[in-house]
Amino acid sequence: MIINTVCIVLVLLGIIFFVGGAVGIVRFPDFYTRMHAAGKGDTMSVFMVLVGLAVYQLSDFTLANLLIAGKILFITIFIMWASPTSTHALIKAGLEEGQKVWTRNDKKETEDEQ
Amino acid sequence: MKSLALISVVITGWLLLSAVGDFPYWGDPNSPANSYRLSQHFVTETFHETAVPNMVTAVLADYRGYDTMFETVVIFTAGIAIISILRVFRSDDQVASGQTVYEKRPDLIVDTTCRLMIPIIQLFALYVIAHGHHSPGGGFQGGVIFGASFILIALSRDLQAAHKWVPENRVLNLAGIGILIYAGFGLVAMFLGQNFLDYAILHKVMPATPIEARYHSMLGVEIGVAFTVTAIMYSIYSNLVSKGTMKEGL
Repeated sequence: MIINTVCIVLVLLGIIFFVGGAVGIVRFPDFYTRMHAAGKGDTMSVFMVLVGLAVYQLSDFTLANLLIAGKILFITIFIMWASPTSTHALIKAGLEEGQKVWTRNDKKETEDEQ
Repeated sequence: MKSLALISVVITGWLLLSAVGDFPYWGDPNSPANSYRLSQHFVTETFHETAVPNMVTAVLADYRGYDTMFETVVIFTAGIAIISILRVFRSDDQVASGQTVYEKRPDLIVDTTCRLMIPIIQLFALYVIAHGHHSPGGGFQGGVIFGASFILIALSRDLQAAHKWVPENRVLNLAGIGILIYAGFGLVAMFLGQNFLDYAILHKVMPATPIEARYHSMLGVEIGVAFTVTAIMYSIYSNLVSKGTMKEGL
C-alpha cells in the first residue's frame, strides 16, 4: 500500500516533469532555452518514472524482482549520464554553428510585432 | 492531383483493411500457423532437442541455420557494396594513414561520458550475444550494439581515433572472419559425415553430448554473426560520414 503510493507519486511527478519539458520545447523562444527544457524534462522525468517502476517491482519482494529493479536502476543511471551529455553536445554544436542567443531586445521586438 | 492521391490512399487502405478481416484471430489454436505440425514440433521439442530455452534462437541458428548464414552474407554484401561505391583512394593516403591528427581537442564532458559508457556498452553487447539462448538477443543485436560503441568513439572524438582501434583492413578481415566462423561450423559437420550445418555431429570434436553440441554450436555461429555485423556497421558508418575518404568524420 505504502509502496504503491510512493510509486504513484513518483510516476506522477515524472509525468509532470515530462509535460513541463514538452511545454518548454514549444513555448521557449530560442534553441538554447528549448534544449534546456528538453534536457531537464528528459533527465528528471525519466529518472522519476523509472525509479517509480523499480519501487513498484519491490512490492512483491523476491530475488527475481530485486534483479529487475536493479536492471531498471542501471537504465536510470545510463540515462542520467547520456541525456545531459547529449544536451550539452547539441548545445555546443549549436554554439559553434552560430545559433543566436535570445536577449531582452529580442523580447521587445517580438512584443512590438504582436 | 491531391484528390487523386486521396482516392488511391483510400482504396489501398480499404484493400489492406479488408485483408485484415481474413486473418485468423490472435492466438487462434486452429489457425494454419498454429495447427501445422512443424510449429508444434518447434514449440514442444526445441528444448529437448537443443537444450536452448529461447526457441527463437534455436529456430534462427539451428533449424534454419542455412538461411541465417546467408542473412549474414547479405549484411556482408551490403557493406562491400557501400565500400565499393563510396570509398575513394587518393595518392596521399600512405602519408596520412600512419599518424593520428586531432584537428580540435575533444570536448571534455562528452569525452568523459563516452569513456565511462563505451566499456559498459561493449560489455552489454557481449552479454546480448552470449545470452541469446536464454533471452531476446543474439548475434545480430549484439553486433549492432558493439558496432555502435565504435561509432560512439568516432562521434565523440574523431574518425581517426576510432581507426586506431579498428583500422579499415582489420574491419574487413573481421567481417570475413565472421562468415568463415559460421560456415566453418557447417563445414566441420560436413567433414564428420553429416549435412552442412547439422551441429549434432559436432559432439565428436567437442567435449559434449549431441544436444549440448547443438547448444554450443549455436553460440559459436552467433559469435560469427556478431563479428560480421559489428564490422559492417562500423564500416558503413565510417564510409558514409567521411564521404569515403576515411580521413575525418563529423
